[in-house]
Amino acid sequence: MSLENVATAPGAKESALAAEAEATARGAWLRAFARNPLALAGLVVVVALLLFSFIGPLFYHTDQIHTRLALETLPPGSGHPLGTDDVGYDELGRLMVGGQTTLEVAFGAAAVAVVLGVVWGATAGYFGGLLDGLMMRIVDALLAIPALLLLLFLATVFRPSVLMLIIVVGVTAWLVPARLIRAEALSLRSREYVLAAKTMGVRAPTIIFRHIITNSIGTILVNATFQVADAILVVAALSFLGLGVAPPATNWGAMLSDGLNYTYSGFWWLTYPPGIAIVLTVLAFNLVGDGLRDAFGLDTRRR
Amino acid sequence: MSAQATQRRDEPPPATAPVLKVTGLDVDIKLPHSVVRAVQDVSLEVWPGETVSIVGESGCGKSTLGLALAGLLPPEAVTRGSISLGGRELVGLGERQLRAVRGAEVGIVFQDPMTSLNPTKRIGAQVGEALRLQRGASKAAALRAAADMLDRVGLPRPREQLDRFPHELSGGMRQRVVIASALICEPRLLVADEPTTALDVTTQAQILELFDGLSDELGMATLLVTHDMGVVAGHADRVFVMYAGREAETGTTETIFETPRHQYTGALLGSILRMETPRKSRLGTIPGRPPDLTAAEAGCPFAPRCAAASGECTSQLPDASEEDGHRWSCYHPLATTETKRIPEAQQ
Amino acid sequence: MTRFLLRRCSQAVVVLLLVSVIVFGLLHLLPGGPARAILGTHATPTNIAAFNKQNGLDSPVPVQYWHWLTGVLSGNLGFSYVQNQSVASLLAQRLPKTAFLAGVSVLLAVLIALPVGFYQAVRRNRAGDYVLTTVTLVLYSTPAFWVAILLIDLLAVRLHAVPAEAPQGSFSALISDPQALVLPVLTITLVTVAAFSRYIRSSVLDELAQDYVRMARSKGAGHRVILFGHVLRNAMGPIVTLLGLSLPFIVSGTLITEYVFNYPGIGLLTFNAATSQDYPVMLGVVVVVGAATVIGSLLADVTHAILDPRVRTSAGIA
Repeated sequence: MSLENVATAPGAKESALAAEAEATARGAWLRAFARNPLALAGLVVVVALLLFSFIGPLFYHTDQIHTRLALETLPPGSGHPLGTDDVGYDELGRLMVGGQTTLEVAFGAAAVAVVLGVVWGATAGYFGGLLDGLMMRIVDALLAIPALLLLLFLATVFRPSVLMLIIVVGVTAWLVPARLIRAEALSLRSREYVLAAKTMGVRAPTIIFRHIITNSIGTILVNATFQVADAILVVAALSFLGLGVAPPATNWGAMLSDGLNYTYSGFWWLTYPPGIAIVLTVLAFNLVGDGLRDAFGLDTRRR
Repeated sequence: MSAQATQRRDEPPPATAPVLKVTGLDVDIKLPHSVVRAVQDVSLEVWPGETVSIVGESGCGKSTLGLALAGLLPPEAVTRGSISLGGRELVGLGERQLRAVRGAEVGIVFQDPMTSLNPTKRIGAQVGEALRLQRGASKAAALRAAADMLDRVGLPRPREQLDRFPHELSGGMRQRVVIASALICEPRLLVADEPTTALDVTTQAQILELFDGLSDELGMATLLVTHDMGVVAGHADRVFVMYAGREAETGTTETIFETPRHQYTGALLGSILRMETPRKSRLGTIPGRPPDLTAAEAGCPFAPRCAAASGECTSQLPDASEEDGHRWSCYHPLATTETKRIPEAQQ
Repeated sequence: MTRFLLRRCSQAVVVLLLVSVIVFGLLHLLPGGPARAILGTHATPTNIAAFNKQNGLDSPVPVQYWHWLTGVLSGNLGFSYVQNQSVASLLAQRLPKTAFLAGVSVLLAVLIALPVGFYQAVRRNRAGDYVLTTVTLVLYSTPAFWVAILLIDLLAVRLHAVPAEAPQGSFSALISDPQALVLPVLTITLVTVAAFSRYIRSSVLDELAQDYVRMARSKGAGHRVILFGHVLRNAMGPIVTLLGLSLPFIVSGTLITEYVFNYPGIGLLTFNAATSQDYPVMLGVVVVVGAATVIGSLLADVTHAILDPRVRTSAGIA
């Protein structure tokens, strides 16, 4: 076990600070990201899955609306590369349709969470004082409630649909970006250009948007990426518990949990394709998120 | 085997052999896509009790040199040449052997006292640490020696400070603690890498005076790495000017300041503000930027920014000329008459 | 230290109050009001009116809140009409079981994640780190329920090493059948280790890059001294805070696990309550878990302050 493989190059700290500032400058982070093989691999996988889910059905036509029980649970073979599921849907086509819903909900929920969280956090951090204290205590209180419990509650109250899922998942996920952006806002609000803007009489919302948020774009992007990854897992869990969307709509989590009912019948094509799709996608987004975080030179503990 | 740190020496020991003798030192640092030639063909000597200052711009390799002397280079560094410390060769030593040298034979003080100390460990433990590691001293003995050393570095009420944490002290006091912890084993050589850059001017002066005092008291050789010529003028016996990893010029402080030879040294001195500088004159600067140390170029590295550069400067590295211990490598050394005009050259 | 304690405690009290407000708000957000939600869709207006009167639901909202809050503080968490028991007694039965499951799993997870994270940081970018990072990343990206079922398939079905379902009955019955606890504990531990070791790796890496490590090396310290004498203490602070904040995440993970293994804890209780629209139980659980998290994170912060003297004297970090 040796410790010499640690950066002890002279001026490492100074160059790290300079690197961060430089990275946020237009384009530099893109170049740094492009030099990271793992991050690029993740990006490629994400794009591939997006194409698969949304463009795939244009080339590979299957009927995903009408069930055909005569064709149920066929193993992969002629006409059905991945077999059929328990009501006769072609599994490969189902994977594409499921992917659409999964990715739509994940991106939507991430968007809701990030927008809500960023606005809340930036406002709290910028104004500071009592408002900040109150806003952040609310965040603490919501964080103290396990997301799944809250989701269970909301899911039983509202009718299941893609939009409902997006809102519900987003509403339980905005707390982390709120905290992150608040920390950014706290440090940014004493920068000279912010003070200058204040002195010039620029109104608070403008300052918050034009200065605080735009200069936290690195943190925001990184967190948004991880939000998508987390949302996919959350929706999968909800689907497993029976609170997802209703058929004929489906998502990978629902496909996986339905398929798990047949584990002992040996119908592996019902579980592994959606399961691997989930793991690949979540993994890919995590790699991209890690890559972005390194490219922006951010604290490695922040998500 | 208690620490004998309290022994005062009344006169410097006879200067028979240099404490440090560096010959033809090359340090390359391997990066993922390139190699940085941080130090190229550096040779210097430091005698006991003397303070040698290594000066140059940021990125000239002076910090790497300091780290090499303290045996603290990262594993990506490839070292060639010779570093002889008290007769012992450091280049080629394994990690385990280097550990015995660090702290015991050579101490190092870094720039930022805020971060050089572990925030969760008490001062006494940190100061005495080297003694426990190198000499196997007991906790109690180490604490006693620590209190003594803290007293010598001028920390008020040393015994009370032992139990405190770093964040409870001011910057200047913290740097004194760092110095104490570096010197507790009474090493022959102290490498100080920009030790006062992070401190305010008054504290700076106090710390530098402390170095002078300790140097006399312990007969210790000091290597002061800095970019601040004012510090050099006031506290160094000899100066080693570095540029792009190479030696540009070296000599006694007086010689360097009064009769610099290398164009770079002249430019460096010309950029300092002095009392004699007439008001309303322009500040002297050196045009251009320091060279990229990953690219190997022929000729003198300073040529692109040198006012006196000519054809031969860019094609071949100049040989070193020497005169009475004053050494420089320049095809167009400054004439003695030129150098006296340096304060006016800023107009 | 006392100032810090006072500040943190008062913050915790505010957060607890806010949790109670949120829960109370959720109770009243239900369509048709709490009466209809609790009595069900077949309730007649007369029933509802009687219910409202009986439970003080016809008083102004702040008064209701006060009654509810004082009730909660004295142990009255409501009544479950679905299970025909008081919420408090239901929780009292199930809470120890979940606490046991979560406690053992998290302890194991920490005991594994600490050395793994340290190892990854020290062996950064070498073979050992890559392998472990890949494994933890893949584990982290896998839905917990799939992990659970894969484990069942492997250990219970194919190898017949352990039973697939958790023991039912009382707490003592549970503990006396350790074999049946293996799979639930293993599931939660694996999922938690994946998350923790990434964080610990980052934490240790950050510490190793600090100047004081370089300073210690310059005194001749070897890797053991640096890791155990310097880095450990500094890295533990953030890790303890992480633990304190992880409780909600752990509860969520426990819920899925209890569902898969039919483990009679509060996770399964909540799920059943959700599907049977037993709102008093759901909200009772939220109150208890919320309070536990706030107190847990308070304890974690205090421990962090003990470990890191800077925290005690730092200015208010809200």
